[in-house]
Amino acid sequence: MQRQGPAPARGMITMVTDPDRGLYRLMSWLSPSFPVGAYSYSHGIEFAFEAGDVTDADSLLAWIEGILEFGAGRLDGVLFRCAWQAMASNDEALLAWAIDTADIMRGSREMALENSAQGAAFMETLQKSWHVDGLERLNQLHAQRARPVSYPVVVGAAAGLSGIDQDKALTAYLHGFISNLVSAGVRMIPLGQTAGQQILFALEAAVATAVKNLLAASITDLQANIGSAAVMVDWSSMQHETQYTRIFRS
Amino acid sequence: MYADSLPSKPPSPIAPGKVKVEGAAQVRFVLNGTKTVLRDLYQRDPVRLLFPDNPPGELTIGVLTTTSGGLVGGDKINIDVVADPDTQAMIMAQAAEKIYRSTGADCLIDISIQAGDGAWFEWLPQETILHQGARMRRQTRLALNGAARVLAGEFLVFGRHAMGEKMTEGLVRDAWQVSIDGRAVWADAFHMEGELDKRIDHPAGLGGAIGLANAVYAGADAAGQLDWVRELLNSQANVRSAATLVNGVLLVRWLGKDVFSLRKAFAEVWMAFRHRVGGQPQKLSRLWHM
Repeated sequence: MQRQGPAPARGMITMVTDPDRGLYRLMSWLSPSFPVGAYSYSHGIEFAFEAGDVTDADSLLAWIEGILEFGAGRLDGVLFRCAWQAMASNDEALLAWAIDTADIMRGSREMALENSAQGAAFMETLQKSWHVDGLERLNQLHAQRARPVSYPVVVGAAAGLSGIDQDKALTAYLHGFISNLVSAGVRMIPLGQTAGQQILFALEAAVATAVKNLLAASITDLQANIGSAAVMVDWSSMQHETQYTRIFRS
Repeated sequence: MYADSLPSKPPSPIAPGKVKVEGAAQVRFVLNGTKTVLRDLYQRDPVRLLFPDNPPGELTIGVLTTTSGGLVGGDKINIDVVADPDTQAMIMAQAAEKIYRSTGADCLIDISIQAGDGAWFEWLPQETILHQGARMRRQTRLALNGAARVLAGEFLVFGRHAMGEKMTEGLVRDAWQVSIDGRAVWADAFHMEGELDKRIDHPAGLGGAIGLANAVYAGADAAGQLDWVRELLNSQANVRSAATLVNGVLLVRWLGKDVFSLRKAFAEVWMAFRHRVGGQPQKLSRLWHM
């Protein structure tokens, strides 16, 4: 297969801009069939259901909206954007910050697992099945820093390396994340597929707002304000670690 | 010392609003034989560190106090603690800290704790009571070397609930970083800004809790404490609590709808922990209970 675009300079990361290829890659990488095992993580929703915090379509919608606005949606959104930006501007210090922060800023053991297991699977699948210029350098940096590959960082970096617009990439990433949570809730409660789609539709504007907010802030501000206020989600995830009957890994 | 006997200065014309402060404390604990003693102490108002006589069997305790009665936007506080290898010490807050409404600027609090190989150190807070409109950014850094062990806490209360105050605006950022031998292993940042009541009342946010307390323990024996801590938490009433272990750091978290229950639950685990893991008396200073 012939490589498109200029060959990357040694040690440098070269951006390739091709809108059509971008859409194709996003749809492949963030499809539920991309083998990162997303379906096995509930981000604590399994315990929230047991505790009675998520019981029906309305409470599932509210719960996911909170995660998106001030929980992992925000935290991982910041990491995603920083990784993307680091690729766009060849900023290794920023990439190193994203890699380290993504590893250590985790509110529970299972949230750390969710992040690193999906990140490793994503990286491995790209290496085996796709050609993304600059991916090896990204892998080396993780190895040098002795950090696991984190999911938002590797997807953000791969999107950046592929020259995919960050607003589209972020929208696709957050859509993939919340779709998976909706799917977990639909299976657990259980809800019909129609209810699941209604929730996804109801979250359309919230995803757009989350992306807009992430893009409106400077990288410096994002770094200074990275964090979460989704304490009940963290609490549910911590409790899930000792939940007696469980289907999900998180 | 003899402030009372000094001639009083004429009152200086004070601009409306409170004068911004830059308080600081730097303290170092060293080993003198087998006893932990204070070596360097620097302090700048409104931060004061007091060293009451230790009760028998108790480690060396520094009591931290803010003499200004509370902090406002623009205030800066820096606290630096070094615990030398094999020392055993604690710094505790004398009373709850108040953060008043800000007119725009953030109140910045930076806490740095370095613990040497074999040291046991406790950083025991009381509540930080955030008034409506308060803006606070607090960063706590724990840097451990070798077999150091540090138990550190934080305790946030959103609004003055005794008088029915709710926090609807402001900024609350409480960030943590733990490193061991120079490598960052765990971080956390509680961050909320803007319409705070929406976060506080949100089922995925604070779920209606008015207070949030965390205890963090870093040390080579952290993993072995998870099970018994969880068992103790399971017996606690009127709070939501849970424990986890991330990258070898033990985190215990409480959410509560009243400060009394939160304090009780927090203190119970702290006392058990310092006793069982640190070999210290299973109690907290009288000052903490006042």
